[in-house]
Amino acid sequence: MARITARVAVSISDRLPEADLMAAPSPITPLQPGRRSADVETAPRPSRAPDRPAARTHAPLWLHLHLPHLALEVLTRGGDGDRACVLVEPGARRPQVLLTNRHAAALGIRCGMPLAAAHALGGINVLEREERAEQAALTRLCQWALQFTSELSAVAPDGLVLEIDGSLKLFGGLESLLRQLRGGLRRLGYRADYAVAPTPLAAALLARFRPRAIVRDKEQLPDSLAHLPLAALRLEPAVQAALSQLGVRTLGDCRRLPRSGLARRFSPLLLEHLDRLFGLRADPRPGFAPPRRFASAIELPWEVDSARALLVAGERLLGELGGYLRGSSALTRRLHWHLVDRDGGRECFELALAEASRDEQHMLLLLRETLMRKRLAVPVRAIGLDVADLVSERAPHVQDLFTPRRQGHAEGYAAFADRVRARCGERALRGLGVLPQHRPEAAFGWRRPLLNAGRMTTLAEQGEGGRQVRRPLWLLERPLRLAVRDSQPWFEGPLALVPGRERIQSAWWEEESLARDYFTAITTRGGRLWVFRELDGARRWYLHGIFE
Amino acid sequence: MTLQELMQRAGMWRGGELPPLATRPTGFEGLDAILPGGGWPRSGLIEILTASRGIGALRLVLPMLAAASRDGDWLVWVDPPHIPYAPALDAGGVVLDRVLLVDLPARSGAGGEDDEILWACEQALRFADCAVALMWLGAAIPTLPLRRLQLAAEAGATTGIVFRPAACAAQSSPAVLRLALGTPAGDEGATPLALEVEVLKARGTHHGARCRLDL
Repeated sequence: MARITARVAVSISDRLPEADLMAAPSPITPLQPGRRSADVETAPRPSRAPDRPAARTHAPLWLHLHLPHLALEVLTRGGDGDRACVLVEPGARRPQVLLTNRHAAALGIRCGMPLAAAHALGGINVLEREERAEQAALTRLCQWALQFTSELSAVAPDGLVLEIDGSLKLFGGLESLLRQLRGGLRRLGYRADYAVAPTPLAAALLARFRPRAIVRDKEQLPDSLAHLPLAALRLEPAVQAALSQLGVRTLGDCRRLPRSGLARRFSPLLLEHLDRLFGLRADPRPGFAPPRRFASAIELPWEVDSARALLVAGERLLGELGGYLRGSSALTRRLHWHLVDRDGGRECFELALAEASRDEQHMLLLLRETLMRKRLAVPVRAIGLDVADLVSERAPHVQDLFTPRRQGHAEGYAAFADRVRARCGERALRGLGVLPQHRPEAAFGWRRPLLNAGRMTTLAEQGEGGRQVRRPLWLLERPLRLAVRDSQPWFEGPLALVPGRERIQSAWWEEESLARDYFTAITTRGGRLWVFRELDGARRWYLHGIFE
Repeated sequence: MTLQELMQRAGMWRGGELPPLATRPTGFEGLDAILPGGGWPRSGLIEILTASRGIGALRLVLPMLAAASRDGDWLVWVDPPHIPYAPALDAGGVVLDRVLLVDLPARSGAGGEDDEILWACEQALRFADCAVALMWLGAAIPTLPLRRLQLAAEAGATTGIVFRPAACAAQSSPAVLRLALGTPAGDEGATPLALEVEVLKARGTHHGARCRLDL
């Protein structure tokens, strides 16, 4: 043991300049023969890089997203963000502030402060940490981030690592990708630091300690990591203490130690970790498999009794959904929402889209219209969104006939129909049809609007319209009883009947018996009405239509 | 932008000269003759003021509805006062598959209902595949929302037909075309129905013109 320590001490004492270290094949000596020699051989050595014909074109590039405020944001992102909030450990006897949001920081509240002191500084909302919610949020962030790359995984407790080399072209380069990624995260209610590096571990370290660092070549890794404190590795306390006793303060110091000694003196795991960090050893990451359906919910930081306040959380959920749908190349037609109220009651409602879509803005508009119509009887404390009905984007497009033909600020059927339904109810839009019925009330029917109309002709032209008789353009919802004066039907004055009547009688097999004589009547002001007189009973007069 | 391009833009015209106006024939020769562009404008509001019920306001636009529906465009009826009777529309040549009705939730009587109707009207006018939006507005609607509808109709390239009572004639209107309908005196019982149309306002020179149609 003493001998090893001496060797370590020596190699640290005759420290080589960084550049020499890079060029020289030693002091990092190969491992003992027989142990993982294959790894060592395949691992690219910095010194040989210039000799190689060309760098691999598809070297992976990792982006690490570090969410330092995740624990607090998970709890507050459903709110409108203008209240001071602090996070504390649940059940602590003398709670301390773990995290603060911007408003709390503005009051002078700092992390580590006793909660009692924080209370003294101003009115704050105190939230208790929920680690399970954090993990669920990370998983959902993975779902959302699938739109940027298929190779990604969560890094507990507060990070996400994405392989982005394959996505750079699609997203218009690294800067553009980063902008889209960070903009998207902001809309979800998260703030993130990031770093880009050729290995996932290096990206994770840089994101924490040198946020926004971008290292694209493996050759630059040792340089960029050299000054990071040893603590960044998050070693076991014993190892950490032993290393610092050796005078190892930074990653650069650690890297300069002889490998064999390091492996024997500490654990081979430490060496493995360092090799992964510097890309000398493969570091495969588990893939992320998206669930088959989308389900997400946001607990509101405080109870809400206005629909408007729910929109913040609704928008965040739609942002998550949008990422999920883009990531799985899918569209949807149905959004199932639910609200959980203070008493645990659940209210569900559905937003149906006329055309499968993943347009978050359109969905948000529909949600706003729907929520505005709602009266929240009991304050709400959570809102959730489930989407199971996914449509593949590659499904044949059937809307060709109805894509907008005109230019300008005009919109298609789907947008129109969704908006009207969201505001006026699911049954607000109706289509009309003719039914082969003798009775005037039954000769037409309501139906759902036909999107792909087969024919562009009328029934009358096809000879299906039956007899060509005169019918009014307006039919009254129900016949209106007319007064009779001087044995003449009366509507805003005496009605003059045009000679000629049409007798409509139901057949004996019909349930509702009907026997009427229909006339065209002319009002004193020249209007034409469709009136009838009952043939049975009291022989009363009724107004049934208007020849408008 | 050259001066020529500038002059081509809608909304820009010189005195004594009409901008080219896209129109659709009304189906009545007498009416085509007195309307600018020779027909119903294809975009913008048309206000039709009727003195009384049943004098044929809907029949006046029926040929246009039939033509538009055959082109495959939607006809949107916003909250009509009665049921548009399908057999009569069909006989009039309207393709029923293209008829879309917007029903507003039951009117509770509070003041908000006009807002709901105006909102629905505006949606219909902005809807690109809608050729004609039919609307029924009361005398109480002020000019400002009508102006909004006019802009929406232009944006959506939609013909918006607003039926209103004759009492609105004194109110100023942003509509492109404004007609007053009445029954010619003494012809109340005539067959076929006689209708007198007076052009109250038209973008152009023909306002004040009248014609008599046999429907």
